[in-house]
Amino acid sequence: MDDDLPTDFQVIVVGTGMVESIVAAACSRIGKNVLHLDSSDHYGGLWASYNFDGLQKFIKEVNADPKRQLQVYNLIEKWYIEKDSPQDEKKEDDENKTDDTKSEPVKKIWSHASFTAEYRKFNIDMTPKLLFSRGPLVELLISSNIARYAEFRCVTRVLTWLNDKLMPVPCSRADVFATEAVSIVEKRMLMKMLTSIVGYNEEEMNNEFKDWNDKTFKEYLSHKGLTPNLIHYVLFAIAGGTNNMPCLEGVKECKKFLMSLGRYGNTPFLWPMYGSGELPQCFCRLCAVFGGVYCLNRPIDKVETKTVDDKMVVTIDSKSKTLNCDHLVIGINECPKNLISPEPAESCDISKAVFITNGSIMPSEKEPLTLLRFPPLTDDDNAVTVLEVGPATGSCPKGLYVVYFITNKVKDAESDLKPYAEKIFDMSGGDQTQTADKPKCLWSLFYNVKDTSAPVASSADAVHVCSGPDAGLDFDRAVEQAEQIFKKICPGEEFLPRAPDPEEIVFEDDVTHGPEFQREEDDADGDAPKE
Amino acid sequence: MEDYKFLFKVVLVGNAGVGKTCLVRRFTQGLFPPGQGATIGVDFMIKTVEVDGEKVKLQIWDTAGQERFRSITQSYYRSAHALILVYDISCQPTFDCLPDWLREIEEYANNKVLRILVGNKTDREDREIPRHIGEDFAQRHGMYFLETSAKEAENVERLFMEIAVELMEQAKCKELPKYDGNLGPINGGVSCRIRFFVYIFLIRKLLQ
Ligand SMILES: Nc1nc2c(ncn2[C@@H]2O[C@H](COP(=O)(O)OP(=O)(O)O)[C@@H](O)[C@H]2O)c(=O)[nH]1
Ligand SMILES: [Mg+2]
Repeated sequence: MDDDLPTDFQVIVVGTGMVESIVAAACSRIGKNVLHLDSSDHYGGLWASYNFDGLQKFIKEVNADPKRQLQVYNLIEKWYIEKDSPQDEKKEDDENKTDDTKSEPVKKIWSHASFTAEYRKFNIDMTPKLLFSRGPLVELLISSNIARYAEFRCVTRVLTWLNDKLMPVPCSRADVFATEAVSIVEKRMLMKMLTSIVGYNEEEMNNEFKDWNDKTFKEYLSHKGLTPNLIHYVLFAIAGGTNNMPCLEGVKECKKFLMSLGRYGNTPFLWPMYGSGELPQCFCRLCAVFGGVYCLNRPIDKVETKTVDDKMVVTIDSKSKTLNCDHLVIGINECPKNLISPEPAESCDISKAVFITNGSIMPSEKEPLTLLRFPPLTDDDNAVTVLEVGPATGSCPKGLYVVYFITNKVKDAESDLKPYAEKIFDMSGGDQTQTADKPKCLWSLFYNVKDTSAPVASSADAVHVCSGPDAGLDFDRAVEQAEQIFKKICPGEEFLPRAPDPEEIVFEDDVTHGPEFQREEDDADGDAPKE
Repeated sequence: MEDYKFLFKVVLVGNAGVGKTCLVRRFTQGLFPPGQGATIGVDFMIKTVEVDGEKVKLQIWDTAGQERFRSITQSYYRSAHALILVYDISCQPTFDCLPDWLREIEEYANNKVLRILVGNKTDREDREIPRHIGEDFAQRHGMYFLETSAKEAENVERLFMEIAVELMEQAKCKELPKYDGNLGPINGGVSCRIRFFVYIFLIRKLLQ
């Protein structure tokens, strides 16, 4: 089937991670002839989301052959529940049962078997990230019209860990009114400081920050007279920093947060429905709509660059076929070593964890979507970012939550993150029906990922290497890098101009009445869509 | 507010060459064959039809060619209300691939999605799949069935009208998978244009 794959393209993109996919879309959008390949059978590479079955396969793959999946290591999966559900619960009528309004006073007892039965309803991210409402990705999605391929949910609250408990961080009008944790005097100080932060401008450094270049953000906040509680909110929850965060970095992070407030919902953040792994696919769809050719399951063997008539061409061997292009855009995890030069500097890896729990870390009336920022619990630790997503985001079946933990690696994922998880989950297994103050952890996965997010230089002008995911909260670096690569390939061209709306080519027809509805098979009605 | 009451997302899948794009074009534009290449940049077509006096907007999504090497994005299937699986009645391999397609559909589409199996190109003399074989297959997999010809405009109107009618019925009995707003806050949330100033303003107010 692959044999009729055309061989000559202007741009070949290998890997369907975020950066690669944005570049593919941008090139195709302005009329370049694009081929987009991935060696695996799904989109996203390290940015993918998996359903429960896919995740199990991924785990097996990593454990079976650690050399093939070089980016992921120290992977530990744990169950805190039984293999099978109790007898009376056994009949999994799947969707019908859990979906509808039938109030279930008794908490469902989950088991390996019930996870497996509902595997499709999980969408678990390898690279969970949020979008700032006024961040570059949201602006790009809107300006390019790619937003129509995705759905988003607003993050409903930002929490932090203060005085050994979870505390909401006020960031909307309702929150500000509701917060008793911040006194009036504190509010005054906070306001003054936030106003100066919003006034911060990198280019024309204003007086306020002139002398803070080599000091920490914390020093600045203390200098401003903020109380310890407020310093905590601003430093850890709003800026996502640590005690050592440089002042200007903290100011920039805060400004980003503040600028994105009030656009959608209560917090500055959006979360993509079905997970972050949907986003690269949206860009791929646009690429395809503008003529890009797609082929998954297509590993490449060899890449060579040569000069023909003063022009650099890249040839790629793939499944005994030779593909040619003027520009090769390739994800770092698919990229042959010889194309990278110089070797990128060793950087700090990332520790990650995913938990599936039977309740929210802080239950609320409506299903919450939470960003929790933990300050480091010890001096050696880094700050930990936690995202809790529920069934309304398409991440898991009803009754469950998926919770992601991300931090910079110190030792290994489990040692780095377990102490934090234990603060907010009951990790002891046991009776799921028990009502306790903490949700039960039903399943967990710890793993480390190589940080491949540093820009990588390639050994040839016609080869463009895309970085992997970073530990940051948003997609900003990916967007920025994609634009840079695009500008190199297509100098002077517009980056993802707005795609036309289908509404602009509407064919309204005055069908007052279609043909009478007569079903082909009357009996097909009875057993229509059922699982 | 636009003047339609219901908006349904309909997606087409099936092997390359079975006539998906032609079916969409025939229905939305009344054209056959559509100029090739003209589809570039077009990603779904919209047509408003009327069912029981109510306007129903059908948003019909084509594969953008990603089916050619079996590389349709999962996100294509998300939030679809109806899914049309197409084969070519004059081409056995396109029928033989149906189980593969079903597997993909099971995996990614909502399991309440309305599924329709369509045998296209009935105008052709060289039929390879007898009608009852297609019918059987559809019945076994809980799908509606229809044979069409995009070329002769045979059953095309009917295909989409039946979908509209059926989805309306489901919508009225609330059996439909629920998606609140098609695109979420980015496209939907026109209302909140207030910025962080509200925040600052409020704090300021509190202080007075
Ligand atoms: N005879 C006949 N040919 C058709 C019909 N529908 C589509 N075709 C032809 O089949 C080929 C593929 O059609 P297309 O719509 O591009 O298929 P797609 O790949 O499924 O989108 C084109 O050459 C069409 O002209 C039909 O109903 N009858
Ligand atoms: Mg087509």
